[in-house]
Amino acid sequence: MTRTLAARLFFWTWILPTALTVTSAFASDQEQNGTAWTLAKLMQDLAQVKKARATFVEHKHLSMLTKPLLFSGTLEYTAPSRLEKNTLLPKPESLILNQDKLVVKSGNGEERRTLSLQEYPALWAFVESIRSTLAGDIGTLERFYHVTLNGHPEQWQLELQPSDPKIQSMVSEILIKGSFAEITTIEIREAGGDYSVMRISRDDS
Amino acid sequence: MKRFDRRWPIVIWVLFLAFCIYVASRIQIGADLNTLLPRSPTPAQQLLTEQLRDGVVSRLILIGIEGGAPEVLASASKELARRLRTEPAFVMVNNGDEDSLSKDQAYLFDNRYILSSAVTSGHFTPENLRGSLENTLQMLGSPAGAMLKRIVPRDPTGELLHILEGFAGQTQPPKQEGVWMSRDGKRALLILQTAAAGYDIDAQQLDVALIYAHFAENARNQGFPDLKIQLSGPGVFSVESREHIKEVAFNFSIITALLVSTLLLLVYRSPQVLALSLLPVLSGALAGITAVSLGYGVFFGVTLGFGITLIGEAVDYSIYYFTHLSSEKPPNKALENIWPTLRLGVLTTICGFSPMFLADFPGLAQLGLFSAVGLVIAVLVTRWVLPILVPVNFSPRTPTRLAAIIMALIRQAPKLRPVVLIAVVAAALSIATHRDPVWSDNLSSLFPLPEAQQQLDQSLRHDLGAPDVRYLVVVSSDDREKAIELSEEVGSQLDSLISKQALAGYESPARFLPSQNTQRARLAAIPDEKELRSSLQQALAGLPFRSDLFEPFIKEAAIARSQPLLTLSSMKGTNLGLQAESLLAHYDNRWKAMLPLRGVTDAPAIQQVLPRLGSSIILLDLKQEGDSLYQSYVREAVLMSVFGALAIALLLLATLRSVRRVAAVFLPLAAAVIIATAILLASGQKLLIFHLVGMLLAVAVGSNYSLFFDRESNANEHEADSRRTMVSLLVANISTTIGFGMLSLSGVPVLTAIGETVAIGAFLSLLFSAVLMGHRIK
Repeated sequence: MTRTLAARLFFWTWILPTALTVTSAFASDQEQNGTAWTLAKLMQDLAQVKKARATFVEHKHLSMLTKPLLFSGTLEYTAPSRLEKNTLLPKPESLILNQDKLVVKSGNGEERRTLSLQEYPALWAFVESIRSTLAGDIGTLERFYHVTLNGHPEQWQLELQPSDPKIQSMVSEILIKGSFAEITTIEIREAGGDYSVMRISRDDS
Repeated sequence: MKRFDRRWPIVIWVLFLAFCIYVASRIQIGADLNTLLPRSPTPAQQLLTEQLRDGVVSRLILIGIEGGAPEVLASASKELARRLRTEPAFVMVNNGDEDSLSKDQAYLFDNRYILSSAVTSGHFTPENLRGSLENTLQMLGSPAGAMLKRIVPRDPTGELLHILEGFAGQTQPPKQEGVWMSRDGKRALLILQTAAAGYDIDAQQLDVALIYAHFAENARNQGFPDLKIQLSGPGVFSVESREHIKEVAFNFSIITALLVSTLLLLVYRSPQVLALSLLPVLSGALAGITAVSLGYGVFFGVTLGFGITLIGEAVDYSIYYFTHLSSEKPPNKALENIWPTLRLGVLTTICGFSPMFLADFPGLAQLGLFSAVGLVIAVLVTRWVLPILVPVNFSPRTPTRLAAIIMALIRQAPKLRPVVLIAVVAAALSIATHRDPVWSDNLSSLFPLPEAQQQLDQSLRHDLGAPDVRYLVVVSSDDREKAIELSEEVGSQLDSLISKQALAGYESPARFLPSQNTQRARLAAIPDEKELRSSLQQALAGLPFRSDLFEPFIKEAAIARSQPLLTLSSMKGTNLGLQAESLLAHYDNRWKAMLPLRGVTDAPAIQQVLPRLGSSIILLDLKQEGDSLYQSYVREAVLMSVFGALAIALLLLATLRSVRRVAAVFLPLAAAVIIATAILLASGQKLLIFHLVGMLLAVAVGSNYSLFFDRESNANEHEADSRRTMVSLLVANISTTIGFGMLSLSGVPVLTAIGETVAIGAFLSLLFSAVLMGHRIK
């Protein structure tokens, strides 16, 4: 019972920190159009990426703990709506998002739970912060967040502020950093000072 | 003295009418739902009907508010919910807002050590505490930690989450602006539970009116005049269908009466004849109502609607009478010649209906009683009362030109025999090769719900993500506490079935209110403060939690140890309390606990496990029970129809004393029934029980026509008499077709089914009588 409980909660692990590296044939195009670079353009470039694989390392700092928590594993994205996070350490676990269904699998691949995002509005908002960014779907992103873009194509930063006050009371800000059509870091700042940082590196293997 | 002799039928008639009016004025109009409840069901059907009558499901009202932007809808939803919560008529008003859930959350959290099934004797040992803390740490590492970290210091063992786990799979409607709203943001949603049972239509009607009144006042106060409200749910359906049927019965009675009156005026050109013609009809209808009222205590809406049909049928007797009335005979002799045939016709009709009285289906039995009594009284009034009321030497104008045309047509009719033969063969073939099921196979087809209302209900349910409950485990016991204990046993079996994926989840009264024994055991599992503190100390070794983090947990666990046990009254004011109460019902001195199941994928596995727990536990498949209930109705109705046809055949055989004549009388009726059935099926319908009732009625009415044709071809009559008979048959047929034809336009499924069947059947009966028997008319 506790295992299913943990599984149920652990989908969160995956939702925020998921991010992907990208093998984009369009990176060079961007440089040529550098002057007209906008949020719309970034989104357009991100939307071109159809498949990506990456590894991640995540640190989570909580005030009630004496030291930060550490997680690592792999990420996989298939446009437009499939996302897979495989945590390998400290405990293996898989989360697979496909359209509006989230499947939680334990280390040995046994399916433990299928969740419908429609039933969990807060979860849905979290999922979209990453997936909509990956898919370059600005419409969905702005449905849940106030979106600000800083930087330039080579080093950009998206600031997402939840528009729903309920989600705001838990998460104050999500920062997604990247270079061209590639996401490199995801930072989540929770209300009350706790925060987590996930670094993502491209996996071309 | 002689004068009194002549008038005595009037005296009896007037006294009888006075009696009828007295009884009818005190009549109760019953719920249509009751019509459907069988009198001698199986235990499972008994449960089903209890559920339909006053179970949780029957008390539900679904509300949709439309016609504005999401913010407007949300504010209307909140205000309506606030107002309705002040009304004692509603035990639960839920629109998804925080207010409606905060008390529940507090109840679950404050009583977490009593409610969590994880709290067993070993739960707080250092080893198990360690496991719980590791899980909590994992959870904190996930973004869910953002939501849950606030309660970790008070609930490090995750009891609240364990309790909430039990709700998993229970769909929550989507929210916008803090309230339940359809995904497209066009409809705010609320769920209400009424204090009154679903079958209590009068109370449901007040509740519905209350909702509309609050909504209207609210729309006015908030300045949202464009908002629309939609209601759905079993109680709402009963209220609306009762209103609808009443309205239809009233409006269509008037329209039919006007049309038939116009017909009579056209044919007889005499207001006097018109007024007198309606007397047998009115007397019959009153007598029918009285008989039903005396026999059953209540009068069903459907039966009331059926009253219209009597107008079309009973007026036939007046038509026969006035068509045969002439200045050559005294008024009381007018019917003398045709009386034996007319009497046989009435007896045939009663034979056709009599099996319906015996039905285990009060609705059908009422229809049968109503029609039979109504027709007998109508014919008696025609035979004995009308002649006295008709002025001496009164002679209505005989429609001679019409008569000439009719006779000419009848002489030509037999030429159509090959056509009829081909039509019957074609119809029989089309029925035999009909691909879809002939009979509608589900119970819901009995409910007189118009299409639009069914669609509204489905779309509201879809928006709410509230699928119909199909499987229900029902536990019964003499004692409430015992019923809860049994529910706990069933629950633990279901838990293991959930892990085998036989079902997704279930609700249980024991989830919010465990048995007293279980509560005591859980509280006893909490160690005292000193022991708990030392266990926690050991469990925490090596974990990165701050050392003083769990002081609130130690304090609250100590308080929980001495807390009083929960009862229904501890849950007062919460939605959970209402849910627990609604899942625990008291019928006939038995306590019944209901455990609705969700996402059942392997019903046989569940069915296999439950009986081991005892015979007082039943897995109820509402759909299957409902359908088998319905199918038993269909079987019964078919059987009754066969008996009815047999009774008619025996009666005719006994009277006519000739197999050939009986066959001749039956032939046009059989042809009419076959073709009418083929037409109904070809129009894409599935047949309802009410179509069958219609067939019975069509045969009963049609037998009058073919009997008259039989009489005319076997008696030595003056041609003038023959003509009169034929004219009366045509006029009677037109009035019947008008009456039932109007009914088919009513929009009430039950009445439409009966109306279309009889209109087609009766018209064809006369046509085929002329075609098949017309050659012998002089």
